[in-house]
Amino acid sequence: MSFEHSPAIEVEDLWYRYDDGPLALAGVNLSVEAGEFLAVVGQNGSGKTTLVKHFNGLLRPARGRVLVLGQDTADQSVGQLARKVGYLFQNPDHQIFAPTVWEEVAFGPRNLGFSEGEVADRTTEALALFELGDQAGTPPAILGYGLRRQVTLAAVWAMRPQILVLDEPTVGLDWRGTCTLMEEVTNLNSQGHTIILVTHDMKLVAEFARKVLVLDEGRILAHGPTRQLFQQEAILRQAFLALPPITALARRMQPYGLRGGSLTLEEFYQEYTALRQLGQGG
Amino acid sequence: MDDIVIVEDLHYAYPPLTPGGEPLPVLKGVDLRVRRGEFLALMGPTGAGKTTLCLTLNGILPHLRGGTLEGRVVVAGMDTRDHGPGQMSRQVGLVFQDPESQLFNMTVEDEVAFGLESLGLSPSEMEERIAWALEVVRLPGLRKRSPLQLSGGQKKRLAIATVLAMRPQVLVLDEPVTGLDPLGRHEVLSVVEELKREEEATVVMVEQDAEAVMAWADRVVIMEGGHLVLEGSPRQVFSQVESLHGWGLAVTQMSELAHLFNRQQGTSFHFITEDEACSALAGELHVQGS
Amino acid sequence: MSFVFDLYIDRPSWLHRLDPRTKLAFVVLSSIVLLNFSHPLVSATFLLGIHGILWSGKVPASRLRWAWQRMWPITFLILFLWPIFYPQGDEVLLQVWRVRITTQSLLQGLSTALRVDALAFAFLVLLFSTDQARLVRGLVKLGLPYEWGLTLAIALRYLPTLYGIYATVSEAQQARGWVIGEGNFVRRIKSYLPILVAVIVTALRLADSLSMALAARGFQSGTRRTYLRELKLGPADKVCLPLFAVSLIAFLIIRFRHSFGIHLW
Repeated sequence: MSFEHSPAIEVEDLWYRYDDGPLALAGVNLSVEAGEFLAVVGQNGSGKTTLVKHFNGLLRPARGRVLVLGQDTADQSVGQLARKVGYLFQNPDHQIFAPTVWEEVAFGPRNLGFSEGEVADRTTEALALFELGDQAGTPPAILGYGLRRQVTLAAVWAMRPQILVLDEPTVGLDWRGTCTLMEEVTNLNSQGHTIILVTHDMKLVAEFARKVLVLDEGRILAHGPTRQLFQQEAILRQAFLALPPITALARRMQPYGLRGGSLTLEEFYQEYTALRQLGQGG
Repeated sequence: MDDIVIVEDLHYAYPPLTPGGEPLPVLKGVDLRVRRGEFLALMGPTGAGKTTLCLTLNGILPHLRGGTLEGRVVVAGMDTRDHGPGQMSRQVGLVFQDPESQLFNMTVEDEVAFGLESLGLSPSEMEERIAWALEVVRLPGLRKRSPLQLSGGQKKRLAIATVLAMRPQVLVLDEPVTGLDPLGRHEVLSVVEELKREEEATVVMVEQDAEAVMAWADRVVIMEGGHLVLEGSPRQVFSQVESLHGWGLAVTQMSELAHLFNRQQGTSFHFITEDEACSALAGELHVQGS
Repeated sequence: MSFVFDLYIDRPSWLHRLDPRTKLAFVVLSSIVLLNFSHPLVSATFLLGIHGILWSGKVPASRLRWAWQRMWPITFLILFLWPIFYPQGDEVLLQVWRVRITTQSLLQGLSTALRVDALAFAFLVLLFSTDQARLVRGLVKLGLPYEWGLTLAIALRYLPTLYGIYATVSEAQQARGWVIGEGNFVRRIKSYLPILVAVIVTALRLADSLSMALAARGFQSGTRRTYLRELKLGPADKVCLPLFAVSLIAFLIIRFRHSFGIHLW
């Protein structure tokens, strides 16, 4: 699958205010490349959800514009944008309504107007990909939380959007559920889908996101490669973000020769072992 | 040893979803004791029965939901078979995972007062307890605020205050930091710390987050498939990386790191905090340029 | 958003300090008087008087504006439609086809419109100056069983939450390509189904959790409870209540004995 247009999303001078509220977004400029894995982080109220809701037209700019795959969202309805941008809401119970898992997953493709045959194909594929085949006839509402999460992810994917927005998808999942979810998301990313992950979990950011967008009070505080962000202490402090423990450890061991940028255990291990061998050899 | 919570061979099955269906067994033989003043962390994958176990501690199960309960649950001398949640809640303060469904009053003050009104306290006694509880959770200035206007961290802290004010012997916290942003998480963990240090409360905390558990738990128990599979100090439990992963649980990143080293190089590291990791690992490196 | 569901604004005024029961009595008094007196001058005076009460009770002008924004369409609708549908009397002012507009029916329309307005504002005197908790407490003190009062209070508290859930679910389904509110009548109704189902299921889960939360706070139906803040009739209440009683008797005497205030000409 190849997705031609890049950048996938362009945000030009975006301003947004909820009725009678304070400014939620104040002049955001952003460009997201196709195939990007972008984490969006920041305190609650910093504008994360407000920003990503502009990508599928749920919110419309008060000022400025948003281009998705080259087209202004102002000219498209939410339904039209749903073809290009899949949005996974934080609480799966806010989407689940169908009598069976099959119907739930088929809902999206059906809305997009595909033939029944095409809908059936997509649904079967989605159920297989997310290992929900056994539950096809079960009412999704009675499944456990982790499975309900999987159902909504399958339901969104069945629409085959190029861009996937995931709003805090791992909240409430146990470790295994989180690993499964992130593995599936990473696979989708490696197939060319653009992933936008809104999250508070900095360990996930370190391990999976190639780029990070930090929002603070409606403005962009930082936007760049993950490794780079974790070097900027002042920004992390302002946005009240904590380094993953492994990165914090690497930073602490900088006086001993480590570069201090380890994002994962494996990276730390490699660097440390190499350094130790050097020390022993020298 | 003063055991304030005694759970003996506890089996519990939820009533069937449809009449004539199968009951849903969740707890399959739990034995647990909690000492007075102890801080116990209860961990396990989704579906292990952690929340169900919490609900048996204050009598909500079986009294409010039916189902079949075998075995014994005794808290502060009260057997839950003989006492319903109305009475058990005087001894066991249960804070649920979702603040939205347990903050049902119009103001913070009313919210904390509700439990006290159930206890039949006089208004002056209530005033005292409300002031104290809000102080412990660090929300003293927000008495007239509506819970709808509070942040996630504030809501969770308020939920703690509402049961804390009832002065139970045991506090049961079901995933107090799940779903919070970093600031909220920090706020709630500070309250947890205060509860342990200053108030010397007996706490049972259900949490997924290994890092949160590690800081304050005296003891960790792992639940899986309806019974306890592992028990010990945080250090002991988190060193069992393979077992925990097998049960679908995360350990602290530091424990995982120690495990990685031990597995690859045959070392025997057992650090679980950053400080310990730093000391242990730095010792092996020559300090450059010193 | 909370403004829409909770009309109350806290102000230090005599009106806010009045016991909710007194204000409820005022609503009852107003209803009886307005229903029995059809002279527009009576309702107009009442309406003016109520505005005087609201003003002296420091209710903000923005609230009054909000209320009038909702009332004027109804008012004009009554004024306009009443003469058309209820022609009365002989003094015909205007005749278009078979529609006869008479002075009498115009005055009737005016009277009805003013009574509706006055009654609405009498309720608003209560709602603008009484917070929901005290209102429910007042009802309970008047005899409403505590559980009913609690149910009412909880329902009021969760209205904004449910509305929020409805909004989120709408967004979630639209984000899956579902279109709401288009097409013929039947299709439009059906379009709300995926949203309503998800909202209802979420609401049911919420209610279930709520029942456990109540239990965990020691709530047991039937047991005696104490209250943090008791309602006590203050000096202002002790003046108002007898005043209401006396006024009511006086009004009724005037109405039935002397037949005053019901004829328009």
